[in-house]
Order: sequence, then C-alpha cells, then structure tokens
Amino acid sequence: APAEKLVNPAARKLAEENNVNTAAVSGTGKDGRVLKEDVANHLKSAPAAT
Amino acid sequence: MSEKFDVVVIGSGPAGYVAAIRAAQLGLKTACIEKWRNEEGKGVNGGTCLNVGCIPSKALLDSSYKYHEAKDDFAVHGITASGVEINVPAMVARKNQIIKNLTGGIAGLFKANGVTSVFGTGKLLAGKKVEVTDHEGKVSVLEANHVILASGSSPINIPVAPVDNDVIVNSTGALEFQSVPARLGVIGGGVIGLELGSVWNRLGSKVVVLEALDTFLGIMDQQIAKEANKILTKQGLDIRTSSRVTGSEVKGKEVTVTYTDKDGNEQKETFDKLIVCVGRRPYTENLLAADSGVNLDERGFIFVNEYCETNAPGVWAIGDVVRGPMLAHKGSEEGVMVAERIAGQKSQMNYDIIPSVIYTHPEVAAVGKTEEQLKASGEPYNVGTFPFAASGRAMAANESQGLVKIIAHAETDRILGCHIVGPSAADLVQQVAIAMEFGSSAEDLGMMVFGHPTLSEAIHEAALAVHGHAIHIANKKKR
Repeated sequence: APAEKLVNPAARKLAEENNVNTAAVSGTGKDGRVLKEDVANHLKSAPAAT
Repeated sequence: MSEKFDVVVIGSGPAGYVAAIRAAQLGLKTACIEKWRNEEGKGVNGGTCLNVGCIPSKALLDSSYKYHEAKDDFAVHGITASGVEINVPAMVARKNQIIKNLTGGIAGLFKANGVTSVFGTGKLLAGKKVEVTDHEGKVSVLEANHVILASGSSPINIPVAPVDNDVIVNSTGALEFQSVPARLGVIGGGVIGLELGSVWNRLGSKVVVLEALDTFLGIMDQQIAKEANKILTKQGLDIRTSSRVTGSEVKGKEVTVTYTDKDGNEQKETFDKLIVCVGRRPYTENLLAADSGVNLDERGFIFVNEYCETNAPGVWAIGDVVRGPMLAHKGSEEGVMVAERIAGQKSQMNYDIIPSVIYTHPEVAAVGKTEEQLKASGEPYNVGTFPFAASGRAMAANESQGLVKIIAHAETDRILGCHIVGPSAADLVQQVAIAMEFGSSAEDLGMMVFGHPTLSEAIHEAALAVHGHAIHIANKKKR
C-alpha cells in the first residue's frame, strides 16, 4: 500500500471545509507534504465539487 | 613519496572537523590538518568555537549567571544566600577543563572514525597538493582527490585601539581575565560584545559598550532589539550607540578611550580593561599558494558557489572563511554537505533557515526574515506576539521578561520568521525553524498541542496571535 499522504494540520482543515480530497492536491512541502497554501491554490484552479 | 588521501581538510573547527568525520563515515580516506596549539604547545582540534569561542563563552555566561542569580534573585523565592562569592580563577579553570574535555573528544571521534589527524600548518598548492609544516618546522606534502578549506576567522583589529593582551584585549583575552575589572570598556555592541559584557557585568564590572552604528543590533528584528536593549540596560550594561572610537591611550594599568558621541562631541572614558570586538574576518594567511587556483572575493572571503565549490576543481571551502553568517552550525552543515557531495550525493543546504542566538540572559534568538526585511522587500505579512509576562511557566521560573514574535505571509500564512528575547529563546526558536523547514503556516502551529505549562506555549500563542485569536492575551482586533 502507498504511504499515507502527509498533510499539514491547517491544510487538512481547509481541505475538509471545502470538501477537497487531499489525495488530489499536489503537495509542495518537504517530501510532498500538502501545505495550507497548496490547498488554497488547488481551490483557485479547481473549485470544489458540491 | 607523499601520502595520498581522498579528502584533506585544512582546519578542525566546527566546519572542518565535522566535514572530516562525515567524509570518513562515507568511506573516504580523510586527513584533517590543524595548527592550533594549547598553552602547553600541544596540537588541539576544535578551532575557534571550542577553544576561544562558543563553548568557553557559554561556560562563563552560565557560571556568572548562577552567581548573579544567587546574589540578586534568590530572595524572590524566599531563599537567603548571604556572603555569595565568586572565585574568578576557579570559574576560568572550570571553563578550561570543559575545553580540554571537548577538544579531546574530537580527537577521540577522529580516531573512532578513522580520520588521520595532522598537527601543523596546511597550505594548498597547485594540483590539490597540501603542504604541511609541522610544529618543529618539518615540511611534508599530502596529495588529495579533494581538499576542503576550513581555515576560519580571526578578530578584526582596529588601529585606534591596538590589542596589547594586557589592558586592551580581544574576545580571546576577555575569556581569560583572572580578576573582575572594576571598569570594563567594550568596543562593539554585537553578539560577542554583549555576551562578554554580560559575563563581567554580572561579576561586578561597570561595563560601557561603545557601538559605532546608530542602531542597536541592526540586523535583528528591531522590536526584539529594542526590548533586548531595555532589558540589558536594566541589568547594568551601559550601551552607547552612535559612539565611534577615535583613539585610546594606555597608561600603566588603565586605558582612556576617546570617542565621538551621537552629537559629534568628543567624549573620554577610562577603563581597567578594554575589549575590542568589532567583528571577525576570514582567515587565509599563508593558506593558498599563488598558483592554487582558488580566488578570494573583494572582502577577503574564499569565493565559492552555493555548494561551497571554489574556482579550483576538487577544492571546496566552508565555514567562516566563505560568505554567509559566521556561525558554528552554518560551518558544520556546509561541512556535511561538502563531504556528501564528494561522496556523490546531491546534498544541499538551506541557507534561509539558519537560527542565530545571543546567549545573554534572557537569550535573544532569531530565524528567518525580520519585519524590517519584509517591509523592504514589500512582501505582505502578519505579525503575532506573545509576552512571557503572560506565561505561567515563565512566572513560576521568575523569567517573565521578553516576548515571542512570529511573522507569517499575509496571503499564504507561511511562517517567514520568528524572533524572541526571553528564557530559552534559542531552544524555542528552533521549534519554529523546524516548522519553517516543513513549510508550516502560523495556523499549523496554532492547531498543534503544546504541553502545559511550558515555555514553548509562548510559541503557540504567538502563532495564534498572528490571526488575532491568542487565548491568553487580549488580541488587537480580527478573530
């Protein structure tokens, strides 16, 4: 099984609030970690499905 | 025939000895050359940091702080300690024993890792050959596939106050006083000046710090610098900015210093000892043969690229002798990077996240950008601060001076810098350095669980304050 994706706490919250699956967000942090700003950029480019 | 090594390191300070150990760990046949000799004339490793820098200054700072605390601060706890005295030679002897243990420790580490330790003066010749002149004057040549230059730095001398190693000393001499000077002058209000000034101030010296620049700790975040100035002044350091020393006259056992104050008026002040600590310069004396192929930059540093490669292929340079902050941990990490790159790894070093510390009490520590730097670059930011006066742990410890300041990007919330004056600032700032390395936002830190009661909670609260929802202080606006 692939290793669990690393997501920073504030990124997790922002993703949850916007129904974003963090698996679909490419992380720019250390070792591919998803940062809050990555989720924000993801939201800008692809608005969340409702 | 000369002996051949994979790596020859010149200098065994924090940059050189770490480079040598890492190279040996990676299976490279490594030699490390050191010319430093102790008082008995025996070769010792460790460079400036271990012998006359970081370690001895911290030993004296800790001893002098304990004395100050017992004398002046125990009463608040209801502890009576009458007749507290300090034996200066004993304090200095303890410091010397620590140096001895640690420098001996490096010799042990060299042995354990198979580093060949060479005592003598190393000089880089053309073709990656290194000439070694030992302490008896015997000359030999080592051949190397790679040479790492780690020759360090030395104190800057100023003609207006020439060091005589008696009344006028540099930082090395200031670690060796055998009695407390009644009146102590310090030229230079930087890290070294404030630390040495603090040691002797605590033991009873009347200390005057003469700083030529108009701004106190100009490279630090100015909110923190101002707070530090206030605290240190209250401790008794007489810090005079805009004070440019123009001359000095030694008469017997005292020195009269002439300087111009901020209004351009000439002033005079007489001291029993004067410490000159206006800065340090890269040390390259007799290090390079004319045809070595290694170039210096206009300030006398060995010119290197981001990977510490010099102009000569296979020759690297690290630590104080190259650009960047003159800090032990910066040199050491460059040493690790270079050793690993020699071994074929693609190691890099993050120059943006190097913490810096002034070991006064309370400590001053910083990592990342200051508010002034961000203003200058025009990057939008938010600031959160938290005073130790609101920290239960700090109050219990009678350590409630100072504050934590965290700066985050206004749009991404990514942490850009952390600046602290306060108890354990050095250890606290490292927590934020780790967070920054992982790209944390201020909110990330705010969402984490911090143990209670701890000093670290001040980091947590300052991070929360970035968005105006710190719990334990009244926030300015926004929630």
